[in-house]
Parts: sequence; C-alpha cells; structure tokens
Amino acid sequence: MSQKPHADHIYIEALLKNDSRVLSKVYEKYSHKIVSYVRKNSGNADDAQDIIQETLVTIYHQAKEKNFILTCPFDAYFYLLCKRRWLNELKKRGNNRVTILEDEASIKDEHLEQVEETELFEQQSQLFESKFKELGAKCQELLKATFKIKKMEEVAELLGVTYGYARKKKSQCMGQLTQLVKNSNEFQQLKDY
Amino acid sequence: MEELRYIEFDNYLNNELVGEELTSFEKRLQSDADFKQEFEIYKSLNSSLSSKFENEKDEQALRQTLNDLGSKYIKTTKKETKVIPLFNYKKLLVAASIALLIGFFVFKNGNPVYSDFSNHNNLDIVARGDSNNTKSKAEKAFNSKNYIEALKQLTTLSNEHPNDVEIQLYKGISLLELNKYSEADAIFEKISTGSSAFTTKATWYKALNYLKQKKFEDCKRVLKTIPEAAEEYEMAQKLLGEL
Repeated sequence: MSQKPHADHIYIEALLKNDSRVLSKVYEKYSHKIVSYVRKNSGNADDAQDIIQETLVTIYHQAKEKNFILTCPFDAYFYLLCKRRWLNELKKRGNNRVTILEDEASIKDEHLEQVEETELFEQQSQLFESKFKELGAKCQELLKATFKIKKMEEVAELLGVTYGYARKKKSQCMGQLTQLVKNSNEFQQLKDY
Repeated sequence: MEELRYIEFDNYLNNELVGEELTSFEKRLQSDADFKQEFEIYKSLNSSLSSKFENEKDEQALRQTLNDLGSKYIKTTKKETKVIPLFNYKKLLVAASIALLIGFFVFKNGNPVYSDFSNHNNLDIVARGDSNNTKSKAEKAFNSKNYIEALKQLTTLSNEHPNDVEIQLYKGISLLELNKYSEADAIFEKISTGSSAFTTKATWYKALNYLKQKKFEDCKRVLKTIPEAAEEYEMAQKLLGEL
C-alpha cells in the first residue's frame, strides 16, 4: 500500500482528531450541495444533516480501523457517498418516486473506487454488528469486555472467572459469530461484490 | 472439534503459536479453503469489533461535534434574529403574515420531527437524605442533556437496581437520544408490556423512537394504542394529527 494521500486527506485526519475547526470547513464548503440534493429528492434539511453525519462517522471508522487514505478530492467522494446513502434511505422508506440520479459518468473511476471501498466497509461492519447482536447475552458481554479491556487477565477478573476459561469462552463466542456471519446471505453477497 | 479451530485462530492472532504448531497452522491456511475462509472472517470480526468498541467514546464525542456543526451550518433558518426597527412595523406585519403562511405550509406538508416532541421530564431519583452518588450524577447528566454520561450512570444504576422501572425508562430515553434505537426499543417494549406506573410513558417513547427513525407508520400504530385516560394521550393525538 503505497498510496499517496490527496491534500484533502486533512479532513480524514480531522475526523480522527475530532478537530472541529477543520470539520467546520467540511460543513461550510460541502454541505449546501448535499442539502439541496436531498431537498430536491423528497427530503428536508434534517434528513441531509443525518446523511452527512452518518457518512462522516462511517469514514471515521474506516480511517480508524483500516487506515483509510483519501487519494481523490474530498468533494467528489463525499458528495457521491451522501447521494447514494440518501437514495438508499429513500428505498428503505418505501419511496419509489426517486427522481433523477445526476449522471455519475462525470465521476472518475478512481473516485468511484474509493466510494465503493467505503460502502463495502460499512456493509461489512453493519453485518458484523447485526450478527453480534444475535449472540447470547453472555457472549456479547464477554466479547465486549474483551475488546474494550484488551488484557484477558483483567477481563477474567472483571467477570470473576479464570484466565483460561475467559480465553476459551472468547474463542467459543467468536467461533459462533464466525459461523453466523459465514452462513448469512449478506455475507454471500459481500463476497460476490 | 470445531472449538479447537477457533482457539487456534485466537492463539495465532496473539502470536502464541510457535515451532511446529505454527508451521502446520500456516500450511493448513494454504491448503484448506474452508479453514482459510473461516480464519479470514474471524480475523475481520476481531479487527472490526475491537475497533468499534474501543472507539465508542470517541465516536460519541465526534457525533457531538458534528451535531453542533450541523445545526450551525445547516439549520440556519431558526438562528437569524435580526433586530427590526420599530417604526418599520408595516414591513414587520407583512413579514409576519408571510412567515405564518410559510409556517402553515411547512406544517401541512412536512412530517413532524422528533425534536418537537422530545421534551423529557427531568430525572428526579435522588431522595432527600439519600447520598447515592451515582444517582445524583445521573440526574445531573440527564437533566443537562449530557446523554452519554447519563447512559453510563444509568447503566450502573440499572445493574444495581434491576427492578427499578424508572431507571430503566430513563436509560431507554438516553439510548434514544444517542440513536441506539434497537436497545432503546427493547427497554420501552419491556416496560410497556409490564405492569408498572410507566407503561404508557414507555409506549409513548416507543412511538418517539420510531418517529426519530422516520418510521411513520410504525409510529402511528403505536400511538393509537395509548388510551384516552393516559397522561400522554393529548400529545399522542397531537402527533397523530401531524403524521
């Protein structure tokens, strides 16, 4: 991975650092276009605000977990992500009167690639999260503690079990979760992506 | 059988496999497609969940920042409070009637929003002479709309007092404020089907939970179950009227 960050990568860094000064530029420069797109397509300013926020939070997670590097201009990348998220939302609300999708042909392939990377990341995280919630309460509790505390010795102490038992339980629960993910339809679809 | 496989995955990811164990594990990764697929899933799950839980607090802080910026840059309509000179009252009247018309128009066409109905009663659980620190922290946080902190304190309290419905309810409201809809819904559902003094209040919040997610049909369905005698009936009817 020898990707060269685009100058706009500062916005990604700002998300990681929760730097409100730089983030305010995102809202100042880019939010109007998104608000007007959402408004034109059966939404309101509240919807647009949600769309923008959820998109930014997704990018934040991708950067945190996968060290996402932005290699194209933020404007095109962000606008397309928000647009597609809004169209998805409309579908979810059962609104089929979706109007024109402005032509995406003007989007360069490399931009589209980054957009799709982010979307794939989100779909995967959502799948994992929803399967996690299907686990039994005990497993959820143990895994949560494991991932938050990191040190298995402390997890064991917190839950009042032995270190060996905590380790064994952790891999059992993770095994169950692996099976849930592997056998889900969504996973098959993600694989084909 | 299967269990051993996951223990091995875990040990491998922790760099705890050595010597022959390590060699044979890596060999199997190359030769056994099913084994490799499960390992890849296990590894992704590990990385995804660990990042998610580790950064929960940072995520909340970021959301707070984005919320503030969003209301600053996006909903600017409410903010402009220009001072209009008194003598210009005619213009003012015209402006007011236009505003009224627009307001009426928006009201008629737009769907109601959560924030118009989300005036929570203050949390009031500290009894006189009671020196429970967690309770007063929870109150203070909740009443000043610091829902992240409130949720933390209320979670502690709900573990200490699993049968205290009021604490559960306010935990649910905090979750709702933080957009944790499914967790919130589980709490409201449980309370609304119970037999405490908070059943209709919980039903009301169940409806608000849908409203915030813009699931208007579900919201309506729940609102209709609020009985006429209930304290929440009037609000429920008002919201129903707007939906």
